[in-house]
Amino acid sequence: MLNDLLLDDRPEPVPARADPAPSPEELRHECVARAGLCRLLAGAFVEEPSLEFLATLRSPATLAALAEAGVRFGDDFLVPDADALVEALACEFTTMFVASGGFPPVESVRLTGRYHQAPHFDLKELYRRAGFVVRKGRFQVLEDHLGVELLFVAELLDRSVMALDRGDMAGYRAIDRDIRRFWTLHLARWVRGYCRLVQRASEHSFYREMARFLAAFAEEELVAMRLRVDDLDQGREVVPKSEVQVAFNPDEPVCNACGPGDRPAMPPGAIPIAVQPGTR
Amino acid sequence: MSDTKFTRRTFLKVSAGTTAAAAAAPRLLQAMENELGGKDVNPVTLAERKAIPINCHVCNIQDGAIAFVENGRVVKLEGNPEHVSTRGRLCAKGNSGMWYSYDPDRILYPLKRVGARGEGKWKRITWDEALAEVAKKLDAALKEDPNTIMMKYGRNRTGGTLDRFMKTLGSATVVNHTSVCESSKKIGMEPTWGPDIETPDFANTKYVLNIGSNILEAAYFHNPLSQRITEGRVDNQMKIVTFDVRLSNTAGFSDEWIPVFPGTDGAVALALGHVILREDLQDSEFINTWTNVTVDELKAHYKDFTPEWAAKISGVPAATIERIAREFALAKPATLFTYRGPAKHLYGSYNEKACMMLPIMTGNIETRGGYCLPRGMGWPQPGPTPPGAKHASYLSTPPDYPLAGHKVSHLVPFWIAEGKQKINVYFTYQDNAVYTNPGAQAVWGKLFRDEKLLPYIVSMSSHMGEETALADIILPDCPYLERWEPESMPNSLWPWLGIRQPVHASLGESRENRILLRDLVHKLDPDGKRGMKQYWNFKDAEDYMRQHFDNVPGLKEAGGLDFLKKHGVWPIYGKLDPKTGKVTDKTGREIKAEYGLHKKELGTADMAGAVVDKSGVISKNGKAIGIKRNGRNYAGFPTGNRLINVRVDEWAQYGFNPMPTFKRIPWHETMKEDEMILTTFKLNVHKQSRTAAVKWLAEIAHSNPAWINAQTAKRLGVKTGDLVRVESKVGHLVTKAYVTEGIQPKVIAIATAFGHWEYGRLASLRLKDKPAFGGQEDPDLNNVWWDDKGVHPNAIIPVVADPIGGSQGWMDTVVKVTRAGPNDKYGDIQGNWEKHVEAYKETMRYAYTGDMHRKMHPEMASWAGPASVKPKSGGGGH
Repeated sequence: MLNDLLLDDRPEPVPARADPAPSPEELRHECVARAGLCRLLAGAFVEEPSLEFLATLRSPATLAALAEAGVRFGDDFLVPDADALVEALACEFTTMFVASGGFPPVESVRLTGRYHQAPHFDLKELYRRAGFVVRKGRFQVLEDHLGVELLFVAELLDRSVMALDRGDMAGYRAIDRDIRRFWTLHLARWVRGYCRLVQRASEHSFYREMARFLAAFAEEELVAMRLRVDDLDQGREVVPKSEVQVAFNPDEPVCNACGPGDRPAMPPGAIPIAVQPGTR
Repeated sequence: MSDTKFTRRTFLKVSAGTTAAAAAAPRLLQAMENELGGKDVNPVTLAERKAIPINCHVCNIQDGAIAFVENGRVVKLEGNPEHVSTRGRLCAKGNSGMWYSYDPDRILYPLKRVGARGEGKWKRITWDEALAEVAKKLDAALKEDPNTIMMKYGRNRTGGTLDRFMKTLGSATVVNHTSVCESSKKIGMEPTWGPDIETPDFANTKYVLNIGSNILEAAYFHNPLSQRITEGRVDNQMKIVTFDVRLSNTAGFSDEWIPVFPGTDGAVALALGHVILREDLQDSEFINTWTNVTVDELKAHYKDFTPEWAAKISGVPAATIERIAREFALAKPATLFTYRGPAKHLYGSYNEKACMMLPIMTGNIETRGGYCLPRGMGWPQPGPTPPGAKHASYLSTPPDYPLAGHKVSHLVPFWIAEGKQKINVYFTYQDNAVYTNPGAQAVWGKLFRDEKLLPYIVSMSSHMGEETALADIILPDCPYLERWEPESMPNSLWPWLGIRQPVHASLGESRENRILLRDLVHKLDPDGKRGMKQYWNFKDAEDYMRQHFDNVPGLKEAGGLDFLKKHGVWPIYGKLDPKTGKVTDKTGREIKAEYGLHKKELGTADMAGAVVDKSGVISKNGKAIGIKRNGRNYAGFPTGNRLINVRVDEWAQYGFNPMPTFKRIPWHETMKEDEMILTTFKLNVHKQSRTAAVKWLAEIAHSNPAWINAQTAKRLGVKTGDLVRVESKVGHLVTKAYVTEGIQPKVIAIATAFGHWEYGRLASLRLKDKPAFGGQEDPDLNNVWWDDKGVHPNAIIPVVADPIGGSQGWMDTVVKVTRAGPNDKYGDIQGNWEKHVEAYKETMRYAYTGDMHRKMHPEMASWAGPASVKPKSGGGGH
């Protein structure tokens, strides 16, 4: 939130850093982890959580892993029997993301206020060029749906892994560029602000926590990818400039000089993401 | 240096003397929109955009339109220059139509209610789940009685699909919305000359009597007739006289605006007729040849309808009536147009009939510049067609209203509440009676919330209107830009067939109506053993359309549906001249309309096997096909006897006056000095219910202060912007005043289409109430700079049913208007169900079975009473 504003206020692009290159194995490990997180988060938002998805999420191991990342669901998620939880989340999902008066997790809607605008068609074309088509799950979702965008990133990360596995570093770098471009042109432009809206509006801890998790993941990804992108979603909290407290010297480049383990301090309340240390 | 002195006087003098030279000077500029019509380019890349012809369906004029599509989305809507009626022009509503499709509040998936009705709690379900659930309910209802399945539709342009569905189920409980629309206009006209509407030839007329229509803004057929009325004014120097309670934009465009007391247009029309007949200005030959009365009969009948009589009732001076009558009768050709003004009253059918008598008695029927029959085209239904219901439905054909061929839908809640007919499953399509009907939330809202009266409500809708919000299950329909529909509308003198076609795939999982109904029937009858599936055997919606259009003579040779897909309309009569805006033939002349349809002579083949009775009616196979006059066999008018029935004998069977007449509304006669009449009207950018969610239109007009005359306002101590309390016998509201000279002093007028409490965040302005829940975070909604959504008056308007036409008397409500009190606040609306029930019981007294019927018709003293009439099933359709 505050960090967003500060990031938004910085005019110059971040110069490329000169880190020591991580090993292919380290890169592979990180790609796998990031793809998994994208899929996990897509699973929360792309459609109503299924019994199986929730069962996995509520397993002690997963809850422990998520807790390590600061994700702590409330009793409304942990206590009800499985069927009741599926039903409750389906209703909450519909109220927030489907029914009239809600706020669909769709990029066109978030950035233009209308379905089927430029992001939708840009993404459809992008998926086509990348060899993907959006197929129907339980429901037919739009191409610029949050869940689909996250799944696309996951697919690209899978391709990165494949490139690394065959020793194709040039291919890996090309896919990495595509991922950065995708975040820059799409997810990063709306997902953080949107997650704040979900956190404010949801009456269920599952969506509040998953939105908080997603926002933090997005922040972390952007920092890790050395991207500085304004979040244009109107769900971002508006903080008057007079209330903005500068926690560091804004003239000092944030990322270009920092090496492994030398990242800028997390803003208060931010969630650390469980990625392997020292891989960047 | 020149010594010429240029003064303003010199300028004007020079201008007057050089008109001819100015006219001869080259004109290099012309309207770009016409020049570019039919094509559009991206302003940056200059790449031509894909143009898909459709028929607009924001309102019901059915303008020819083109959707310009770029990268899969509609970026612009424009008129179709090949469309003969609308000639490349589209109104503000039509230009905004894409925002239905892209509205973020649109419903894209089947939704099942999970909270109490109206609580707003939903769960998304799959189509399979939704269809299975609805099929289960239908199955149970079918076992009990197919008529317990009800379909109520509003704007139904499916081309017969809803009817097919209900016939497939065997239910006769099909109810439309026409009684809140213009049904008494239709019933005033249909038994008289056949069709339910007229086509005034405005472009070629010399004189227009415009009675209670605001054709430049609304009414049938706003866009095409606005063009023609403007042409008549500019090219033909016609005179237009408007009778209206309000100075509408059409009244302002007129040569004369004559304010008239609500509901008295019929009296004025009769008095105009009286003067014409008294002064022998009628067209005797036409009357004697083409009507079922003689001039002498007519003169005798009109004798008592004097201008002085009408003046006392209407407030229109007798001298004005005398003058207008002479002007109208002597200006040849002359025409007339009416809409809700005369028709939306207790005896609206009589009013309409009295009005249409003016062009009839002056012989301005089917003449160039006159009052013409509508021109439309039909299309066949795909076969086989289902047989239909085995027995009649009370709600669909109420026995107390045997002449109301367009039903009496606004009384349905009371009949259901009284147990006249049980309903198990209620389907609603493109309807929003909870908002649009008299009583609104106080009547229909109560019905819809009552699970005993309506156990299961299925809404087929793309938007969460006031009615859909109270449904049990929502099946997401497609907005008009995403569906196939056959179309033809008699909105000019040239008949046409057209289509709507999807300009892109439907969003989400919305399904167009014919597809979702097919899927529902297939769910009910998966193996065809119930005999239902056979009526729904089509591959997709386009296949269904092919069955409509591929065998229409003429169109078939042109290419059938493929022609329509390319052009949107058939036939193409000529080319739109960008300079004149008219459709021209190869020589550059405007294409000619065909007049005198009733004088078309029957051919030898037509006459083969036909018989002619002593009155000249030519019949074949038991059906009248023409009329013999002066030795010639004419087609005549599309009535049972091929004549214009000035005397409608069927009306007399039920104790109604068969001749043109007028009945004053009893409660208007007893109004107190401080009482007024509440009327409603439409603005040019809105229709009744479904436009408040359209972004561009909502920004143009979003509130509706009540029009009050300056004299009245002075008496009340009210100025523009002050709050007023408007109280009727069924409720009250509090709104803002707009003080103007442009309204009859005894009238308060409130525009409809505002004051929504559902229909998405824009219409309801709920974004202002709950900013934490998504509203203000929408980038478009964040631009909403207004905080006044207006006040919807329908909850305080009691039901009134025309005992003949069945129409709602929208303009009959007596109200008391006062300055708002300390406890009143803007937007307060209260309607009382019990009081609405009393109003219902009161209006039933005027039905032919009611005790007031005889009192209102002393001239029908010889009528033997309701028991003398054989019960009529199937309503009074003509």
